Amino acid sequence: MTEASPQFLLSPGPHLRSGLTTKQIMWWVNVSLAPIFLWAISIYGVRVVWVLVSGVLGALFAEGFVNKCRHQKQTLGDGSAVLTGILLVGTLSPGIPIWMPFTGSFVAIVFAKMLFGGLGYNIFNPALIGRAFLMATFPLAMTTTWLKARPGLFFPPDAVTQATPLNILKMEGLTSAVKTLGLGSKFYGELFLGLRAGSIGEVSVLLILLGAGLLLWKGIIKLPIPLSILAGLGLIAIFSKVPLFHLLTGGVWFGAFFMATDYVTAPMSPKAQIIFGLCVGLITGVIRLWGGYPEGICYAILIMNAVTPALNRWFRPSRPKWEGTPS
Amino acid sequence: MNTFLRGGVSFFDDQKSQTSHKPIERFVPKEVTIPLSQHLGEPARPIVARKQKVMRGDCIGEAVSGGVTTGGTPIHASVTGTVKRVALQPHPLLVESLAVVIETDPNAAETVWEEVPGWMDLPKGKMLEQIASAGIVGLGGAQFPTYRKLKLPEGVKVDTLILNGAECEPYLTSDHRLLLEMSLEVLQGAKLIAKILGVSKILIGIEENKKDAADVLRIAITKQHTSPSPKVVLCQTRYPQGSEKQLIEALTGRVVPPGKLPMHVGVMVQNVATAVACYQAIRYRRPLLDRILTVSGKGILEPKNVSVPIGTLVSDIVTFCGGIHQRTNKVIVGGPMMGRALGRLDIPVIKGTGGLLFLRAEEVRKEIYGPCISCGRCLEACPLGLEPNQISIYTEAGRSLDTESFGTKECFECGSCAYVCPAVRPLVQFIQIAKKSFQTGSQFGLARPEQNL
Repeated sequence: MTEASPQFLLSPGPHLRSGLTTKQIMWWVNVSLAPIFLWAISIYGVRVVWVLVSGVLGALFAEGFVNKCRHQKQTLGDGSAVLTGILLVGTLSPGIPIWMPFTGSFVAIVFAKMLFGGLGYNIFNPALIGRAFLMATFPLAMTTTWLKARPGLFFPPDAVTQATPLNILKMEGLTSAVKTLGLGSKFYGELFLGLRAGSIGEVSVLLILLGAGLLLWKGIIKLPIPLSILAGLGLIAIFSKVPLFHLLTGGVWFGAFFMATDYVTAPMSPKAQIIFGLCVGLITGVIRLWGGYPEGICYAILIMNAVTPALNRWFRPSRPKWEGTPS
Repeated sequence: MNTFLRGGVSFFDDQKSQTSHKPIERFVPKEVTIPLSQHLGEPARPIVARKQKVMRGDCIGEAVSGGVTTGGTPIHASVTGTVKRVALQPHPLLVESLAVVIETDPNAAETVWEEVPGWMDLPKGKMLEQIASAGIVGLGGAQFPTYRKLKLPEGVKVDTLILNGAECEPYLTSDHRLLLEMSLEVLQGAKLIAKILGVSKILIGIEENKKDAADVLRIAITKQHTSPSPKVVLCQTRYPQGSEKQLIEALTGRVVPPGKLPMHVGVMVQNVATAVACYQAIRYRRPLLDRILTVSGKGILEPKNVSVPIGTLVSDIVTFCGGIHQRTNKVIVGGPMMGRALGRLDIPVIKGTGGLLFLRAEEVRKEIYGPCISCGRCLEACPLGLEPNQISIYTEAGRSLDTESFGTKECFECGSCAYVCPAVRPLVQFIQIAKKSFQTGSQFGLARPEQNL
């Protein structure tokens, strides 16, 4: 060879690639959640920071631990463990004991993700498994530690507990809820902006839409799943006399845009996604109206996660039939 | 805007501006290495010996074995000079093949091509014969002997001839320049091929990013006033539009079923460069001797479109194009989506070589891959509606034989799926492995790789 022979990479095509990598996708989702958490800190106090740190550390510790035990390459940098931690914290009440998110994340990562084989192999959304675990083991801490929203630019006055609107509706009935909450346009405005008691991630519909907008713009999530969840819940909520109340309260927006859109645990074809979303919405509504819990999105998504492999199998891309070998 | 029905990818920057404005430059090296295998089927048999003098256009390899034609094509001397040796030489696709090395005579006179009398009205059989003896193969890259493609089996009729000027691979501009600089030859070739096939409808498919070429062709068509008058159809710029079946879908709306050929839906597709070669073969009995190709990428100092004799070594082209950049990471023969990486530069240009790309590390996709996250992007990108994700997962787990229902056999390896995969999974290779297992009948698989991103 005449040239000074440099080393050329020998690998098969395609030699180009486009778009975001898995790692970039995970970190973009993390970034899109930032405004929601900043808002939670500003209305519930600095304690939210410690809850968040606890949840994320639990997830990272669990993933690192399992990788170490299995002699696998560490995967902490891929952003997916951090995301599970953040998403779990998003479903928790701001007044929860600090060690609980750590425990929840640990269980989520170890039992719902790593034991299935790690990223890409899990069947259920790990963050929701973490929440379901905490709900089953520490029901009191999970349902009575809601804080009253008191905006104070990151240093709101001392925390005061307050039941969530959904809790009031479930426990005290509609007439009492109307008396306590008012259910006027001011109330609905506060629900939309996020001035109410609730889980850390769910309170501000506006900021959830902002984060979701970023993900839509980046092409990371698509609309079929979230929209059909809202439609499904809306259908059931008609029976409740206060449909708008149901659409604006609870974690349905957070769940619809950030949990149900998880690639691994949601179906792939648009048709299957719409069915998946509608069912999530319907189940959420059924649990809220006729079930034992005030909120249902967590279990609705978990149930449909179990149906996802079947949906993927039933809704495969169609293509023309094979018509023999070329002559 | 015309385009194919499903899947496909659009490039953010197709990198064609590096060379699309550069006229084709002629380069003749001091020595050519002409492989005797440049088509599907058996290699040609060498009929020259060491020290023999050959003229540009002389046949040096016959497509005959034991007195019977092999179904291959003959090979011709692309330069005038002396045969140095007939020996095994590196080959861009086959690793090694028998080749004739000819030293160029710098003082040789330009070859003069005499016109065949009455070339426009030659009988069909005669035209096919001239195409066959000119050694023409599909220049889009498939390298299937053209005379065999044009010879339709009994009972099969086509009504439309499509000229493929889509050139959908990024970086490549050789067909674009050919359309701009040789539009009359392209049209003549189209007319002759239409005559051979007995069709009256000629469509020329060109992607939107080559509007100037379409305009030039349209002007040339109006000047010619001949019937059948070809129709230039602009298509949306979308990969893999240049694939035969996708182009047919884009221009006629007809879908070629898997396992069938374009002729079964009444269509014949020929690359624009092949049309020019057919024209030259019929009018002048001129064999296929030169290749127009794009030399591009951030790794080459002077990107160019060049016309070189077949057999020119990549290393000589590198010198002609100013040398390569130190940080060149990958050398690709063909386009960046379907082309192959070269490990060395002493490899000859063959008939189907449409481009040589010298890419730096930042242009090339990293090969470290992670697990499938079921994002579904590959399903959206596949122009055939196959399931590359499933094929890769099954093959990874050693169950490649169970992938048939996902469409393994139909895949033509355009690479759209792997291009969009966020986990950078080598989906095309998984499909190739699965295809191989159907040939051998045994399961193939890989040990699951370490998880890393």
